[in-house]
Amino acid sequence: MDDLERVLAAHPFLAGLAPEHVGFLVGCTKNLRFRTGEYLMREGEREDTLYLIRQGMVVIEVPRPGSEPSCIETLGAGDVLGVSCLTPRAAHLDCRARETVIALAIDNVCLHRKMDADPRLGYAISMRLLERTYDRLARARLQHLDVYR
Amino acid sequence: MTTSHNPYAPVAMTIAHAVRELPDVFTWTFRPPGGFVFRPGQFNMLYLHGVGEVPISISGDPSDPERLIHTIRSVGTVTRAMEPLGVGDVVGVRGPYGAAWPVDEARGKDVLVLAGGLGLAPLRPAILQVLAHRADYGRVTILYGARTPADLLFRDELERWRGRFDVRLEAIVDRAGRDWFGPVGVVTRLLDGLPVEPDDAVWLCGPEIMMRFAVRELEKRGVPRDAIWISMERSMKCGVGLCGHCQLAGSFVCKDGPVYRFDRIAPYLQVREL
Repeated sequence: MDDLERVLAAHPFLAGLAPEHVGFLVGCTKNLRFRTGEYLMREGEREDTLYLIRQGMVVIEVPRPGSEPSCIETLGAGDVLGVSCLTPRAAHLDCRARETVIALAIDNVCLHRKMDADPRLGYAISMRLLERTYDRLARARLQHLDVYR
Repeated sequence: MTTSHNPYAPVAMTIAHAVRELPDVFTWTFRPPGGFVFRPGQFNMLYLHGVGEVPISISGDPSDPERLIHTIRSVGTVTRAMEPLGVGDVVGVRGPYGAAWPVDEARGKDVLVLAGGLGLAPLRPAILQVLAHRADYGRVTILYGARTPADLLFRDELERWRGRFDVRLEAIVDRAGRDWFGPVGVVTRLLDGLPVEPDDAVWLCGPEIMMRFAVRELEKRGVPRDAIWISMERSMKCGVGLCGHCQLAGSFVCKDGPVYRFDRIAPYLQVREL
């Protein structure tokens, strides 16, 4: 447990989080390893996990019937996958390990319970998720502009 | 050395070598008699008789004055008319014009080069000059973004740079299929996890929107505006700061630029009419 607490505290997403809050999250977290080609999330499946990526590259793909999926972004160490975990819904993209991926998997139901029980933790996690969401939105807008054309 | 004492008179040069880089990008090499001296970041005006003249950055090696190299995207009337030309054809050249990348001033510092799309071409002379005097610089990092893997410019050279132990080269594309094994996303994603220091020499070239976005990301990481240099693109015509076509507030991009220290140009980038 100590080790899990240490790696949770070391992930950039949780930088600055109070030690007691990191401790709360340990009970919701597993350290998972995905082999090359394994999916962390698939389109249509319920997003029930927030992944804090520690190592490896995750490909976010749009599946296209009858043709090769189109990759729209890759995520790596320090990134977060599943930012919509505050309002869980069905995933609209596939997320596949391009190489061995090690990630901290935080169970959404457990996370919500902890955030409800301690609003300070809830606020801290929500703000971090919002920041990541805004960053991703800004990147998506820039990609949408297709500036190199 | 310039092509002529009269800044408006082009010198006829023969294309000695022509390479198709991408479906819409080609590179010409000239062998000017007597050589052609320029500084990294400068440009020439290329003239196609009966069609017109366009400003094109020099993409060759400043330490090799025997070869003058231009990498051109076929995008407007003049460059589309240039596209079918090949070895033996003649075009007019006048220059070099404009301010250069501060390559000598960066000696002793870590150098971070951030290029997007065809923006790698004006940066290539600066990269080659740094690599020619590699021991004079600290870490050298080249971050390059393109639209798709098929749009990566100077592929062979990118591979050579990537293979060096004293250069860190990262390439990223906006979108890709499964045959691309590198990262996908905007070029600034490559800054994540990269050691960036406030006193690094940072050189940016690419679409203006990309450069503004990149500056924001660099500022978040503590890089001051006076450490960042960018290459601007405006409608250069005379090349010597007289006609006013490329005027940017109190500055003429052809003469005071195209390479600017960012803090000196930043206020103008936020004026919508400019």
